[in-house]
Amino acid sequence: MSTQITWKHLALWALFLGGMALLPMLVGKGTLRTIIFANYLAIFAMSWDVLSGRTGYISFGHPFLIGIGAYTTAILSYRFDVPVGISIPVAVIVTMAAGTLFFLPALRIKGTYFALVTLAFMELMYQLVQVIRPDLTGGTRGISGVQTLTRGAVNGYYLSLALMGVIAISLWAMMKTRLGTALSAIGMNEEAVEGSGLNTTKLKLFAFMVGAGVAGIGGAFYVHYLGSIAPRALFDINFLFTIIVAALIGGASTIIGPMAGAFFLTFLLEYLRPFLPGAERYFIYGSIALILYMYEPKGLYEILRKARERLTGANA
Amino acid sequence: MTVILELEHVVKRFGGLVATNDMSFEVAKGESVGLIGPNGAGKTTIFSLIMGEHKADSGSIRLHGEELTKLATHKRIRRGVARTYQVPRPFADMDVLANIEVGLMPDSIMAMIFTAPADEEARAIARSVGLNDADLHRDPAELSMGDLRKLELARTLATKPEVMLLDEVFAGLTAGEIEQISGLLNEKRQEGMTYVIVSHDLRSLEPLIDRAIAMTQGTFVCQGDYATVMSDEAVRMAYLGH
Amino acid sequence: MSQILIQGLLLSGLYALIAIGFTLIFSVGRVLNLAYGAYLMLGGYAYFWVVQTMHMPKLLGILVAIGVGVLAGLLKHRLIVKPLKSDPVAVEIATLILAVVIQAGVVLVFNDSAKIMHPIVNGVWRVGGATVTYNILTATIASWVILIGLYYFVRKTHVGRAISAVSMDVKGAAISGINPDRINMITWGLSGALGAIAGVFFASYTQLSPSMWVAPLIIAVAVVIVGGIGSIIGTLIVAHIIGFMEIISTTLVAAELRGVFTMLLIIVVLVMMPKGLFGRGEL
Ligand SMILES: Nc1ncnc2c1ncn2[C@@H]1O[C@H](COP(=O)(O)OP(=O)(O)OP(=O)(O)O)[C@@H](O)[C@H]1O
Ligand SMILES: [Mg+2]
Repeated sequence: MSTQITWKHLALWALFLGGMALLPMLVGKGTLRTIIFANYLAIFAMSWDVLSGRTGYISFGHPFLIGIGAYTTAILSYRFDVPVGISIPVAVIVTMAAGTLFFLPALRIKGTYFALVTLAFMELMYQLVQVIRPDLTGGTRGISGVQTLTRGAVNGYYLSLALMGVIAISLWAMMKTRLGTALSAIGMNEEAVEGSGLNTTKLKLFAFMVGAGVAGIGGAFYVHYLGSIAPRALFDINFLFTIIVAALIGGASTIIGPMAGAFFLTFLLEYLRPFLPGAERYFIYGSIALILYMYEPKGLYEILRKARERLTGANA
Repeated sequence: MTVILELEHVVKRFGGLVATNDMSFEVAKGESVGLIGPNGAGKTTIFSLIMGEHKADSGSIRLHGEELTKLATHKRIRRGVARTYQVPRPFADMDVLANIEVGLMPDSIMAMIFTAPADEEARAIARSVGLNDADLHRDPAELSMGDLRKLELARTLATKPEVMLLDEVFAGLTAGEIEQISGLLNEKRQEGMTYVIVSHDLRSLEPLIDRAIAMTQGTFVCQGDYATVMSDEAVRMAYLGH
Repeated sequence: MSQILIQGLLLSGLYALIAIGFTLIFSVGRVLNLAYGAYLMLGGYAYFWVVQTMHMPKLLGILVAIGVGVLAGLLKHRLIVKPLKSDPVAVEIATLILAVVIQAGVVLVFNDSAKIMHPIVNGVWRVGGATVTYNILTATIASWVILIGLYYFVRKTHVGRAISAVSMDVKGAAISGINPDRINMITWGLSGALGAIAGVFFASYTQLSPSMWVAPLIIAVAVVIVGGIGSIIGTLIVAHIIGFMEIISTTLVAAELRGVFTMLLIIVVLVMMPKGLFGRGEL
C-alpha cells in the first residue's frame, strides 16, 4: 500500500499537469469551459473520496458541504462586500465546522444509516436556504452577480487547474503515508483498526475535516467562477450523483481514480450532447455508470490494474 | 505471583440472554490460562468485554490494577492487552506486510504522516510467527487458514501486548499447522507472555496452559489444572450432557 | 382544527402506503432501495399512459401499473441486488444510480414537462368546513385496505409467514426449509407492486414529473428511520406522526417549512436513537 514516493511519481505528475497546461493552445473556448467543469468536479470527487471512498462512510450529503462553502463566500462578498481574500478562507473554515457537524452521526451510526442522515442534511439545507433569511441567500432564485476571480475561459481554466493540481498532489502525498493506510484500513475493518490501538474516532474526524475543507475550497472557488448560485442546482440528487459516480467510476480510495472519473464523465456528457441535447444524456451516462459499477465496484482504476496484471503476468 | 488481569462480577446481557453471568477470575503475569466451555458458553463475549468491544453491564475488569471498563478499545490496547478473532478478518485489500504495519502505527495523525512505515519491524514480526518472506506481499485472500492465523497473531503481536487473548487459535488448521502455532506460542510463553486461550481442541490446548477455567451458559463452573477440571462432574455435564 | 385532523389523516394514509413497500424490502432484505421512488414514478406514468394516452379503462391502468411495478422489482432483485450479494452500501449506491437512470428514461419517453393526472375518482365531499376530494379519500381508504390486507397476508399465509421469518433471522429461516432467495424475490416483486399503486395515487394527488421520485423516497426513508424497521403497525404510526407534523407545520407555522421538520426528525432520531422509536423488530 504505502509504497514510497519516487522521482518517477513526481515526473508523472509534472507530465500530467504540464500537458494539461498546454491545453488552452490546443482546444477551443467551449471545450475549455467543459474542462474547467471537469476540474472542479475532480476536486469535489476527490473530496468525497477522502471522506467516503476510504473510510467507507458513504456521504450522500456532499453537496451540503460544497453548498456551505459556496454560499458562505457568495453571501460575504456579494452582500457584505467582504474581499474574496477573506471570504474564501472564512468559507473553508465554516465548511470544515459543518464537516464536524456531519461527523457527529458517524460516532453512532454506520453504513446505510450514515448515508441517510447525510442525505437528510442535504435536503434540509435545500429547504432551509430558501426560507431562512432569503434576503441573504436570495431564496429560491439564489444569488447572481457574485464577483468572479478571473476573466475569460483561459484564465478560469488555469485557476481551476492550479487548484486541482495543488489539491490532488497534497491529498496524494498525504494518502501515501501511514495515515492513508490507516484510513483505508477503517474502510475494510474498523474494529481491527481500533483493535490495533488506533483511535478510529480521531482518524475519521480528521478525514472528515480534510474532505470538508477540500469541498469548501472547491465550492468557494466554483461560485466565484460561475458568478452565481442557486439552491436547486446545488442541493440536488443529480449533482450528488455526478460526484459519487465520478469517484466510483474512476476508482474510490485512489486519487487518480476520482480525477479520471470526473474527466471521463464530463467528456462523456459533452460527447453525447450533439446526439441527445436534453436530460436524456443522463440515461446513457447513468447506464454506463451502473454497468461499470456492477461489473467492478472499484472502478476503472481496478479494471486497468487487473488488465495490466494479466498482461505482465502473461509475459512473465 | 502478581495478578495482571482481573475480572470481578462481570455481567453482560444481550436482550434477555445473559451471555456473561457474574464471572470473576484472575490471571497472573506469565501465566497461561485455558478458557473452555461448549458452543455459546460465552467465551468470545468475555474477550469482547475485556477489549471493550462490548460494554459490560456491571462488574469490574482490571489490568495491572487499573480499571478498564471506562476505556475505549484502542486505549486498552495501549495498556497492553490484545486479542485475536475466532474468524480472522484481515484488511482484505492490503498485503500481509501492510496488515501487520497497521498494528505498528503510532496513534497520532502527525506521526502517521511524518514517519515512515516500520517495514523492517513488520518483517521481523512476520518471521517470528513463521510467515514466509514470499507471503509478505500476498493478499490475505491467497493465504491458507494456518497462515491467516499466523497473520492474526502477527497483527496482535505488533501492538506489543503483555496479555494476549487467543480465540480458537487452532480452528480450521491441519495437524502440522497446529504443531507450528503451538511451538510459537510456547516460545513467546518462555519469554514471559501471558495468555488466555480459548479452544475446542482440548488435546492441543492442554500442553499450552497452566490452568483451565470452565464455563457454561455465561456462568463459571470450575477451575484448576487441566486434569482436575476435565474430571469435574459439572464440566462433563456441560460438555457431554451426562 | 377538524381541518387539520381530516387533512392529517388523509395525508398520513397516503404516506403509509408510500412507505410500506420500502419498509418491506428493508426488513426482509436488509437493504435500502433508493430506487424505490422510481416504482412510484413508473406506476404513475404507466397508469397515465394507459388511461390518458390510450384512453383505456382506469382499472386496466391500475393493473398495468402494478405489472410494471412487479416487473421492475423482480428485475432489480435479479440484476442488482443478487449480483451485489445484498451488500447494503453497494446496493444503496447502485440503486441511487438506477434511480437517476430511470428518471432520465422517463424524460426520454414522456419528455421533461410535468403532467396533470385526472383524478381517479371525481367529485368532492364537504365535511365540517373542509372539502375533501373523493380522489384523496379513495387513496386513503385504499391505503388502509392494502395495509390491513398486507398485515393479514404476513400473519396468516404461508408465504407471508416465510417473509416474516426471513425478516427475523435469515439463517434460522433457511434451516427450517425456507428458501431466503425465493422469499427475497417475492418481496421485491411485492414491494414493486405496492410502490406502483402508491405512485398512481401519489401522482393523482400531486402531478407526474420525472423528478417526482425524490419526495416519496424521502418520506419512505423518514418512516423507516423513525419507526425502526419492520413492523407494519410501526409504519402506520410513524406515517401519521410525519403526516400530521407536516400538516400542522403547514397550517400553523409556514408552508415552506413543511419538509424541514421531517428532515430534522430523521436526523435527531438517527443520532439519538439509531434503532428508531420502535426498535428493529420483525415484520
Ligand atoms: N452481539 C450479540 N448479540 C446478541 N447475542 C450475542 C451476541 N454475541 C454473542 N451472543 C450470544 O451470546 C452467547 C455467547 O456467545 P459467545 O460467542 O460468547 O460464545 P462462545 O463461547 O464464544 O461460543 P463458540 O464456542 O461458539 O465460539 C451466545 O448465545 C450468543 O448467541
Ligand atoms: Mg467464540
